Amino acid sequence: MDSFIDFLTVLLPILYIVTFIIYFYDFMKGGKRFTNSKRLFLFITLLVHSIYLFTRTIHFNHPPITNVFEIFTVLAFSVGFSYFILELVTDIRGTGPFIIIIALFFQIISSLFIEDLVEVKEVLRSNLLGIHVVSALIGYSGITISAVYGFLYLVLYKDIKLNKFGLIFNRLPSLEVLEKLSFYSATIGFVLLSIAIIIGIIWLPKAFPDYSYADPKLIGSFLVWILYSIGILNKVFGKWQGKRVILFSILGFVIAILSTTLTNFLASSFHSFY
Amino acid sequence: MNLLAISISHHTAPVELREALYLTNDEIKEVIEGSKGKLFSEGLVISTCNRTEIYGIPVDPKINYQDVQNFILIKKPVPQIHQDNFRNFFSKGAVKHLFRLISGIDSMLIGDNQIYHQVKDSFQFAEVNQFTGFLMRRLFDAAVKTGKRAISETEISEGAVTVSYAAVQLIEKIFSSLNKKSALVIGAGETGEIAAKHLLDRGIGKLAITNRTVERAEKLAESLSKGFLTEKAKIIPFTTFKEYIHEYDIILSATSSENFILTKDDIQSAMKKRSKNAMVLMDIAIPRDIDPEAKKIDNVFCNDIDSLNIIVEQNLAKRKEEIPKVEKIVEEELANFFNWFSSLELAPTIKNLRDFFETIRAEEVDKNKNRFSHEDQEKLEIVTKRIINKILHHPTTELKKFSENNKSTDEAIVKVSIIRELFGMDKQNNPAAAGEEKGGNS
Repeated sequence: MDSFIDFLTVLLPILYIVTFIIYFYDFMKGGKRFTNSKRLFLFITLLVHSIYLFTRTIHFNHPPITNVFEIFTVLAFSVGFSYFILELVTDIRGTGPFIIIIALFFQIISSLFIEDLVEVKEVLRSNLLGIHVVSALIGYSGITISAVYGFLYLVLYKDIKLNKFGLIFNRLPSLEVLEKLSFYSATIGFVLLSIAIIIGIIWLPKAFPDYSYADPKLIGSFLVWILYSIGILNKVFGKWQGKRVILFSILGFVIAILSTTLTNFLASSFHSFY
Repeated sequence: MNLLAISISHHTAPVELREALYLTNDEIKEVIEGSKGKLFSEGLVISTCNRTEIYGIPVDPKINYQDVQNFILIKKPVPQIHQDNFRNFFSKGAVKHLFRLISGIDSMLIGDNQIYHQVKDSFQFAEVNQFTGFLMRRLFDAAVKTGKRAISETEISEGAVTVSYAAVQLIEKIFSSLNKKSALVIGAGETGEIAAKHLLDRGIGKLAITNRTVERAEKLAESLSKGFLTEKAKIIPFTTFKEYIHEYDIILSATSSENFILTKDDIQSAMKKRSKNAMVLMDIAIPRDIDPEAKKIDNVFCNDIDSLNIIVEQNLAKRKEEIPKVEKIVEEELANFFNWFSSLELAPTIKNLRDFFETIRAEEVDKNKNRFSHEDQEKLEIVTKRIINKILHHPTTELKKFSENNKSTDEAIVKVSIIRELFGMDKQNNPAAAGEEKGGNS
């Protein structure tokens, strides 16, 4: 079983690279050659990835959420899977390479450094923790995808303003679609982050008697949550439109990443398990 | 193939001559009536703003291009016209020209698929006026197939190649769907009209027109509502239209005004009123109608003719790159058409027909000969051969008569085609297989 898991650990980045190359080639060249087959490649990659996650969970007797490199592979899957669903629902196929490269990045880091942990802290075996982590990860995937669409929006916005009608102009969907995709991803991300925060608040006193609400990780997460709630409310009530909403979404993502990085690697927090 | 074609187009004649030789439907009808049976047994007349072309199967092999040119110039005299203004095609060249034409690669605007519909309409017109026969119908099918393949298998018709259509393409890069958007067209001239038609064509939700002369705006609104069966476009008085610009997502300006009619301040105040919702300004006027400084406002997209021309040039360059792919399709379909046409020759058909029956006979005899004694097997061979000969005697004699008497090739082609189709001679290279299929079905 160990060798099978090791094989998948090596295979997954390769599959993501191949999928990324096909999506990138299709974006650059256009035409109909890979229009449908690229989706099949992504599906196969995600299928292998789900087998990998399932096998690890069974073999090591805990979900792969106990250290940062396990979380990275779940995050890669979550980003890839969210994009796959988004592509299926909207049938917008021109933005794939920009999202898949993120999944590829997380998977490469994970595959390089992941360890086969059998022994984990008892606190990490809780079901509530599982839901908390999964919803937080999908939430982060949502805001990551939202930021990518936001970034694409800004690039296309700038190109149109500067009369640059090149590859970006020809391949990307309209600004309105990019804005919608960014907003919907942010909203889904926000809802799941809210669930993660609520579960975290319920689970926290049970798991860590010496917890503190002044923990940098909690403050960071709450700040991100406040930021997204302001942006979403303003958009819903029609006060903010277009570029402003997009900039806010990107700002939210940057703060979320900074908050996670700083609290995980620099600050001392009960929230770090590795 | 005895197909003859003459063409006058942008390749050979200036616009005045093309205009002079343009044929209305009534005139095409006259040309058909005048040429049917005298010049051509069947044919086709295509006349658009860029070309007039006549195709036909001559009733007499002596009829040549000059006769057709003279005939058309008698019907529609154009004194300045010269021999060099015509291109003449014959046989394979004529078919190839028709295939290239319907594929859009002979058009002034490369890949313009309007010609595809115009050729189809012309065929239908010829059909209604009983100018089409067996050959022209088959040629029509092959031409339409070529045109369809060119459009679907290549990018020859992709992208906007006119300024007004490029404006719509650009608008669609900003808004996802036009059916929930509103547009205001400033100026009811020809450019404004074309742009308005494009917007309606793409399903714009609400359309308003403003023009210095209200009557002209009303006339345009009337003509647009007729063509597109939509509710009539709203007319806004030119003197007050600035008060309403915030209500529109798209403003398309095409007036002949010497000065800006919309300033940056006008746009800025409109944006405030519409909560900074995106606004697209398409200035397709020369000189410009909208202050280009408006571009600096957030969520305002302001484009003029120069920027739209960049899109047009890029798309034209892309279309030109697709020409070799279309030429390949034309060659393939040309080969298919002439393969079919050569199969209609009499001598090979008679031979194919006899081979077809002989193979079936031989196979059936072979399968069943063991049921007969050795002596009877010989008789079986003789009797079955005699039956086949008797069955084929009449059709063979009839077909031979066509070649001996030099009768109308049309009639021969029709009969040969029917025979080949009935016995599946074009589908089956192997007559034995066709025989088995027949046996299986019976």
